[in-house]
Amino acid sequence: MSDWKVWLRYFLAVVISIVFILPLYWAFVASLRPMELPPPSTIEWWPAEPAWENYRQIFDVVPLARYTGNSLFVAAIAVPVTTLIASLAGFGISQISDEPFRRQLLWFNIVALMIPGAAVWIFRFLIVKWMGLFDTLWALILPAFAATTPLFVLLFYWGFQHVPREMFDAARLDGAGPLKLWWKLAVPLSRPTITGVTVLTFVLYWSDFISPVIYIFTPQHYTLAIGVEIIKQMDLTNIPLLMAASIFMAAPVILLFWILQRFFLHDLSLANLFDRS
Amino acid sequence: MKQPRASRLFLLLALVSLSLLLLLSGCGGESPPDKTVSFAVFGDPAEFAAYQQLVSAFEDAHPDIKIELSHIPGQGEYRQRLATEFAGGDPPNVVLLNYRRFATFAAEGGLTPLGPYLESSEVIQPDDFYPITLQSFEYDEQLWCIPQNLSSLVVYYNRNLFDAAGLSYPADDWTWDDFLTAARALTQDLDGDGQTDQYGAGISPKLFRLAPFVWQNGGDIVDNPAAPSRLTLDTPESRAAFEWFVNLQVEEHVVPDAVAESGESSESRFLNGTLGMYFNSRRGVPTYRTISTFQWDVAPLPRKLQPAGILHSDAYCLSAATEDKESAWTFIEYANSVAGQTIVAQSGRTVPSLIAVAESPAFLSPDLPPANSRVYLDTAPFIRGVPIMPGWVGVEKTVSEEIKKAFYGDASIDEAIRQATDLAQPYFDENTP
Amino acid sequence: MNFPFRFSHQTQYRLLVLPYFAGTLLLVILPALTTVAISLMRYNAISTPEFAGIDNFLAMYRSSYVRIGLKNSLIFVVLAVPLRGIGALLLALFMQSKRAGFGFFRSAVYLPTIMPEVAYAVIWLWIFNPLYGPLNILLSAIGLPAPEWLTDPMLARIAIVLMMGFQLGEGFVIMLAGLQSIPHSFYEAARVDGANAWQMFWQITFPLILPWLLLLTFRDLLVSLEHTFTPSFVITYGGPYYATTFLPLLIYELAFDFFDFGLAAAVMVVAYAFLMLLVIGGWKLVQRRGLHV
Repeated sequence: MSDWKVWLRYFLAVVISIVFILPLYWAFVASLRPMELPPPSTIEWWPAEPAWENYRQIFDVVPLARYTGNSLFVAAIAVPVTTLIASLAGFGISQISDEPFRRQLLWFNIVALMIPGAAVWIFRFLIVKWMGLFDTLWALILPAFAATTPLFVLLFYWGFQHVPREMFDAARLDGAGPLKLWWKLAVPLSRPTITGVTVLTFVLYWSDFISPVIYIFTPQHYTLAIGVEIIKQMDLTNIPLLMAASIFMAAPVILLFWILQRFFLHDLSLANLFDRS
Repeated sequence: MKQPRASRLFLLLALVSLSLLLLLSGCGGESPPDKTVSFAVFGDPAEFAAYQQLVSAFEDAHPDIKIELSHIPGQGEYRQRLATEFAGGDPPNVVLLNYRRFATFAAEGGLTPLGPYLESSEVIQPDDFYPITLQSFEYDEQLWCIPQNLSSLVVYYNRNLFDAAGLSYPADDWTWDDFLTAARALTQDLDGDGQTDQYGAGISPKLFRLAPFVWQNGGDIVDNPAAPSRLTLDTPESRAAFEWFVNLQVEEHVVPDAVAESGESSESRFLNGTLGMYFNSRRGVPTYRTISTFQWDVAPLPRKLQPAGILHSDAYCLSAATEDKESAWTFIEYANSVAGQTIVAQSGRTVPSLIAVAESPAFLSPDLPPANSRVYLDTAPFIRGVPIMPGWVGVEKTVSEEIKKAFYGDASIDEAIRQATDLAQPYFDENTP
Repeated sequence: MNFPFRFSHQTQYRLLVLPYFAGTLLLVILPALTTVAISLMRYNAISTPEFAGIDNFLAMYRSSYVRIGLKNSLIFVVLAVPLRGIGALLLALFMQSKRAGFGFFRSAVYLPTIMPEVAYAVIWLWIFNPLYGPLNILLSAIGLPAPEWLTDPMLARIAIVLMMGFQLGEGFVIMLAGLQSIPHSFYEAARVDGANAWQMFWQITFPLILPWLLLLTFRDLLVSLEHTFTPSFVITYGGPYYATTFLPLLIYELAFDFFDFGLAAAVMVVAYAFLMLLVIGGWKLVQRRGLHV
């Protein structure tokens, strides 16, 4: 590729990246505008006097620290549980030798994957009630016991499918049972998948909005997602406050993503999970 | 296709573990202490604080009963949560419901009527309340809930802006024309850029706001309030009121247009001091009390042929699924006694339904704005409620959308009225047997 | 079958799958089946459900509110799915380079997708503000008209399509993977034969990427049944004049505003069945033409 084409490519890539990041950047700048000022009539690229205290204010307006703690608790339990159950299931399916049965399980997965969230709202609610978990954070953690989404099981399954059978067979000859096989062989081999699933699961639970709306009734149990909505309802036009709350909520996700995206976006190793024709 | 035995066993195991899980989890929940009453409210944080005070005062007076207070900000979500709660079969024992919405719950057996409890109460009596409030919670010839407040639609105005424009404050019997004059004077382009920066007034284009204007002009929104069967915005009196209402934006431009409203809401402009008069019920008071940049007060609705106000009222209702009804009633009774209502009145949020409390300094206190709180009480004789019927929510929602279209110039008045009448009809039809 | 406590390896493998299977049965399959059952009943959450046969489906047919919701979702899908699909493909083509720094660029593209829905929606609520939002200020500053984003019905829909257009990370990653799976030897051979970039794309890349693209499209269609909820709820609550009442919000409102769970379930069932038919039909078509994943 000739030189100027390379530079053009870089230039365009930079422009595209800027376009994608711009909304976030604007929101960040808006969050630093002092609250007493009227709304801006021009685009501020950096506030004249950044009001960092806005980020402290969001904790005063609602008990945001508590809500954040709740979100963290949910994620702290849901993420390992999901990864564990998905990994076990994906591994189990990949090792089942009964072909028709395995295919049935895969179809089960795909069917479950295609069921939209709205179809399960109300009656998951009833199940939560029966289990006495209503208005507790455990109600939010519950989907983790179903690996949160069949997608994760499928991701692990595909990953394990592409490990050469010889590796597993060799270990089996050494007398390893399924559980040992999983722990000693499958888990280390699936590190990129584990990373991907962990990040995606965290994001799912951290961002979850609908579930707390349905299951949580008392303010002590609210999560951060509800907190942002509450701030919005309380004062729709206090833009700095709203933006600060949104950025605060997005920050851990962005940070986590930033640290870990190299595992699946830099060397395109996600391709390892898919077949090479 | 014959399934291998192993997979059937698999399925069996799955079902067994499922049932085990369900059984085990049944032992999981902790049983609440004796005599707990769950109580759900909605509203701003300032309102919530008032209920928190009420609850602790009650627990002091009745140490053997504990109240679990839950709060949902905003009214919309509240209805939705209540729906899921009732669906689950375990709704809060005591719920705060608006008179426009309780009928559905009553009709479907979700509530226990409180009429008999009130009759035999030693703490409060029906005569202690403003009659219109009790009437609004009657359905099917029974009293279902105990009302806590009665408010009408009033006008909050910015005294500083009136002063700056050289206007005298609204008189208690001011008319539609007086209002329009003031609104025109207050709508100004302050920096000469061709855009209005300060608006004279702000009002939500909804049926609930339009109704009192229709009544004042001698019309009505339905054919028979006791047994409504159709919307009547097309009668000459109703239509004239509708036209005047809509022209506030379309012709007079004294209220923000769609873009301006979307950029910054009327209420927000009022709070920021760039809107002269804002129509709202008593609900706004706790928030407006936080205003520090200007002085404000309250005036009654401007009148036309006859004075009329529209009832805003919430009540304590008892859900039918409650086991310990006695304790729940004790709380409801306390909340609506002079002691209880005084506490909530002090937050500024309510116009108490108990005549004694409404006339007391707790409500009329001149120390906190609005100074002219008598306004709420003076309208009491003229207040009317909207029809009480299941499905009224649907009527309001669909008709309000059409009002909004006409208000922002997206539909002509007659078109909007026609659409509104057609869309609302199914809700009326559902209710006529 | 072996004795208990000495399960064969195969049985153990199945046991590994058991927690997931049981959980999914209970939390996903069962609720979905119950929803189908509810669509045949009259249920308002307070009294007990009554069997109503196909009443709900008839009501759906007659209700203008439902028609509006379906129309809105259709418009959304027609606009958003191609935008996201083609966008994902183009971006993947462009960003797949292994040069230094492109990892960063790819992350930038994925960023909006990973953001929490509520926060993302609230941010765009402000960006689309017709008076003070940076978008309109920018447009005016460069002399373009500043649209009334959230107050005009069609513009409001476009606003949500745009906002969700940025969230094409999933598709982007799938396209990247698909592009990676095309062996380089194909391109080498083509170059030797003198093909230019355009021909290489249409003759090699496009046919091989097509299954992925279709997979992405199908998934996007199904996902649009859910993911328009938060934006339409947080930003416009279905307005203006019902323009952004997409299916998920419609179902939510039918259930929780109007307390008509039977009708809500019916809408869900019909919309979903329709989508499934579309997807399965499309899939069969793809298979018949010999394309395989």
